[in-house]
Amino acid sequence: MNESLDPRVNRLRLNNSDGSFSIEEGENWNVFEVFHQEKRGAHHEHVGCVHAPDANLALIFAKEQFGRRKKCVNLWVVRSADILAFDLEDEDMFANNPDKTYRDASGFKVMDKINKFKAQSK
Amino acid sequence: MYGGGYIYDDSGRSWQQEEQLQDDPVKLAAFEARIARGEKIEPGDWMPAEYRRQLIRLIEQHAHSEIIGALPEGTWITRAPGFKRKLALIAKVQDEIGHGQLLYNAAETLGKSREAMINDLLSGKSKYSNVFNYPAETWADVTVIGFLIDAAAIVNQVANAKGSYGPYCRALERICYEESFHLKQGHDAFIELATGTAAQKAMLQDALNRWWQPIMHFFGPPDKVSAHSEKLMQWKVKMASNDDMRNQFLDAYVPKIWELGLTLPDPLLKKNTDTGKWEFSDPDWDLFFEVIKGNGPCNKERLDVRKWAEEHGRWIRKALMRQEERERTALPVA
Amino acid sequence: MQSEQALPELLIKMADDELIIGHRNSEWTGLGPVMEEDIAFSSMAQDKIGHAWALYRILQEHFNGSDPDQFAFMREAADFKCSQLAEMPITSYDFSLMRHFLFDHAETVRYQSFSQSSFTPLQQLAAKIKGELKYHTLHADAWILQLCAAGAESKGRMQQALDNCFQLAGGIFEQGEAEEVLIAEKIYPGEAALYQQWLNNISPVIEKAGLTLPQMTAPVYGGRKGQHTEHLQQLLNEMGEVFRLDPEATW
Repeated sequence: MNESLDPRVNRLRLNNSDGSFSIEEGENWNVFEVFHQEKRGAHHEHVGCVHAPDANLALIFAKEQFGRRKKCVNLWVVRSADILAFDLEDEDMFANNPDKTYRDASGFKVMDKINKFKAQSK
Repeated sequence: MYGGGYIYDDSGRSWQQEEQLQDDPVKLAAFEARIARGEKIEPGDWMPAEYRRQLIRLIEQHAHSEIIGALPEGTWITRAPGFKRKLALIAKVQDEIGHGQLLYNAAETLGKSREAMINDLLSGKSKYSNVFNYPAETWADVTVIGFLIDAAAIVNQVANAKGSYGPYCRALERICYEESFHLKQGHDAFIELATGTAAQKAMLQDALNRWWQPIMHFFGPPDKVSAHSEKLMQWKVKMASNDDMRNQFLDAYVPKIWELGLTLPDPLLKKNTDTGKWEFSDPDWDLFFEVIKGNGPCNKERLDVRKWAEEHGRWIRKALMRQEERERTALPVA
Repeated sequence: MQSEQALPELLIKMADDELIIGHRNSEWTGLGPVMEEDIAFSSMAQDKIGHAWALYRILQEHFNGSDPDQFAFMREAADFKCSQLAEMPITSYDFSLMRHFLFDHAETVRYQSFSQSSFTPLQQLAAKIKGELKYHTLHADAWILQLCAAGAESKGRMQQALDNCFQLAGGIFEQGEAEEVLIAEKIYPGEAALYQQWLNNISPVIEKAGLTLPQMTAPVYGGRKGQHTEHLQQLLNEMGEVFRLDPEATW
């Protein structure tokens, strides 16, 4: 008999173990990354992950852990192990993007040319 | 919910001499510059070994505090009065488990498995917030926890959310959003008792008297005796000092208690209008350390209940461990 | 209109089922087998209690019933009309999962029948909670199928749980005294029809799981007449412990 103030706990019949109980590596299954879609037409966005034995239960778990508040219309799950990403220190590969103005609308000064032409034509 | 100041520092400070010397000084400088610029550190980034270790410890203790913190309030799930309180309390305790889930995931990105963290909790190797080693004796205790302990936790968590580790910050962003519901429902239930019948008011005052010392302990020992390192502040692992957080809490919440005609069991408690700081009687720090060591009123019960849950869920977890996928379970990547 | 008497009987037994099983399932909150499942099971417990609340409000609004809190927290066991399945202690997770599977399919069949109901509030409630029930049965089916495909120990436990729950689950469909009126007025199709539909829905899952469905030889009736095990009064004493300190106070 426990001497807890919690009637729930008193029903558990705790065995007063000595602390030797431990869980095995892998007992919390695999990890799945979760992607949340807030409304139709929007992108699915990464919101976190769940531990689950398979994708099916991962989706069922994700529904409550990541879809119980706020708007949500759909979720994706994918095994974390299946995600391929660049190393974060490789971000220098992207470093010159802002310099390559020929890929950007702002790199083309159409109005300047028109104004120049109009000024010359007067 | 979590208070940062009582982090049980058993690691000493020898690391500063040993491990930091092993870290590549060029990488370390780049790492520290990144943090100084206000950039976040992400799981795959290079980081000093000690940064990784301190973060695992911090996030893990926070996670443990959530799932152990679910227990004192869980006590009252079956007894909450009326539909609204009953549903709000179940939802709140559920959120605590949800927070634990988010935080264990954040800690896992640093390389320690959830299983290993749970084992360290069960064996007593890893600590959780001291405040949960006290019993919730009456319904009024639930309202005090829901209002004031959650308020204290928010002070701490809002500070930590500005820290340097990306996954922890992202978890805290979601947690802080949900904590605002906890605080509001706690405050609402607290006010209901404070403005209710004489018996309700007496019940609340009694709970407040019992919880005041654990609440004062919540942010940990005063800065002058607390062993936290400059380095952890520089690395944005620890974001605010114990005294600052305690003062911030007192400033925001003592007036909310007093305005309801309730009293606090500390005759010295007052705000010094010159310094802007709160003054109070020194809480019993010997008791605080006794409870951390495992000698609080509920330490044993909390861990025994957690063990019960792990033991009784084991057949399910083991049944669904897929043999073919067991060679390597991947950790969260983000 | 005779259904004025018969309808409250239906609403009360449904609401009492939902409240009591929701209360039981909420006992797992914080103690579940793994955090993700803890969260999912807790949400469903909240949903059940929410359904009970909605039904008590229909009673209050349309049948001059008492305040839902008073009605739920002040009655004694003999006044409760829940099935005995709902009041059983949570025991172990296999029992709780199997009860969830059997009960939630029964609940789904019942609410699906209300989509045709001539009593608008029930029709509206059924439309509102349709998605919740879909998730509840999806969750239950997934667990039953997974655990039954996960080795002899696990499957054996689920078969044992089914054997323990099945006659109790039959008690959900105990007929009410004025049921004929409700059928005649097209409020719902009656317990016998729901029972058949329930069997049709659970059988494929049971079969796919490789479980053996026991014969319904002795459904545990009585709950709908206020006959209960000792567990219900204990549950009610606990549930009302704070509320009954001062039933006039607001909490």
